[in-house]
Amino acid sequence: MNRPILFRRPGPWFLALALLALLLLPGIAMAETMKVGQPNQSLYPDPDFGSAPVASVPVGAVVTVLQQSGDWYQVEYQGQRGWLNRQAFPAPAASSGFNPLGLLTGAPVKETSSDEVALAGKGFTPEVESSYQQKHPEAKYGEVDQVEAQQVAAAKLQAFISEGGLKP
Amino acid sequence: MSSHLRRLALLLLAALPGLWGCAAATGLVSIAAVGGTKAVQASREITDSEEYYVGRAVAARILSTYPLYQNPALTEYVNEVGQTVARKSPRPNTYKGYHFAVLDSEEINAFACPGGTIFITRGLLATCASEDELAAVLAHEVTHVVDKDGINSISKARWTEVWTSMGTEAARQYGGVAGNLVNLFEGSIDDVFKSLVVNGYSRSAEYAADAGSVKISMAAGYDPGALARVLAKIEAKQKPGAGGFYKTHPPASERLAKVKAEAPKEAPPAAEATRTQRFQKIVKS
Repeated sequence: MNRPILFRRPGPWFLALALLALLLLPGIAMAETMKVGQPNQSLYPDPDFGSAPVASVPVGAVVTVLQQSGDWYQVEYQGQRGWLNRQAFPAPAASSGFNPLGLLTGAPVKETSSDEVALAGKGFTPEVESSYQQKHPEAKYGEVDQVEAQQVAAAKLQAFISEGGLKP
Repeated sequence: MSSHLRRLALLLLAALPGLWGCAAATGLVSIAAVGGTKAVQASREITDSEEYYVGRAVAARILSTYPLYQNPALTEYVNEVGQTVARKSPRPNTYKGYHFAVLDSEEINAFACPGGTIFITRGLLATCASEDELAAVLAHEVTHVVDKDGINSISKARWTEVWTSMGTEAARQYGGVAGNLVNLFEGSIDDVFKSLVVNGYSRSAEYAADAGSVKISMAAGYDPGALARVLAKIEAKQKPGAGGFYKTHPPASERLAKVKAEAPKEAPPAAEATRTQRFQKIVKS
């Protein structure tokens, strides 16, 4: 009497397929996620600041990285594809561990949560600015915020350029 | 048939270490690349966001010396001219964009803070006679941002100390923010402020900013000869022993000679009269 097919000893087909799956696994898992670590990041249609942004990506947003080209990462965020500049992802910590999957696929190395904590203490950050402000109450940060709040809407700028006979 | 398959499975099994080896070799390239990046980070350049925070602090310090001129219509106009030239510069976008503001001072001066905040004094605005001349001044300042002249004035020794202090120890102290990093930030602001307000940039940086201004003006559709006209007026207004701009910039006469040689001799671009009219209406009113 034949045994039910499920309980048969794994055949050579099964072994071959399992091995192929094992080999293909890194390719399948190439897309990685990264967390945006800087505020005011925009998604661009091309890896170039010259193109008009298609969406904004808030700090803390988790994006799926599709590929990297120089300083730019092609990502998918909320169903939209676009390019984020490297500045969206603060420099990794010198002591960061590595993701073996990322190393095998050449994909960006994702930081661990402990690295994210470490990153907060790196370089000149908003926290360093905050401490500097406390040390220098005479510095007019309120007025700097006022200056930075000044925006020229794209349509208004175009009208200004056009009225002045300037190059678009 | 099954023996063929068994052989195929065995072959794949035998090849597995080799294939993984290839993958690992690719991985090693990747490791090397990642490792290389980290090595560069050990002596990395300042990032755009760090440049922005340095620029904010420099701007805050300038504003504690020069009051901000509160004139919304004028500020809006200066921003429109500034944005028009910034978008035609080799660095049209900075971390948080370019911002332009007027300082309430009769002194003839302008300052470009790292990251893109640019100040022009009422004194320098009054020296300009047209929008094209204002655009030339702002394009000169934009070029300082493009060339990162402010950031480059941070002493190398100090920046070396910044990145060497960014170790695990600094991260551990993060609860209270590593004090050393704040001190280094403070020192960096001093370096930039001194270059900007006290000593000035190098002559070569100023000449490069003049050349950049001429190129940007042309790209934006402004008169490339406008910078030479402003420089001539600045030179004419110079008083013996004058400080501020006159101390932090090479003599206007020297700059003028270079700029005149660089600017193409062309007829003024179209609609200059319209631009001058709106300039007069907003700036001179």
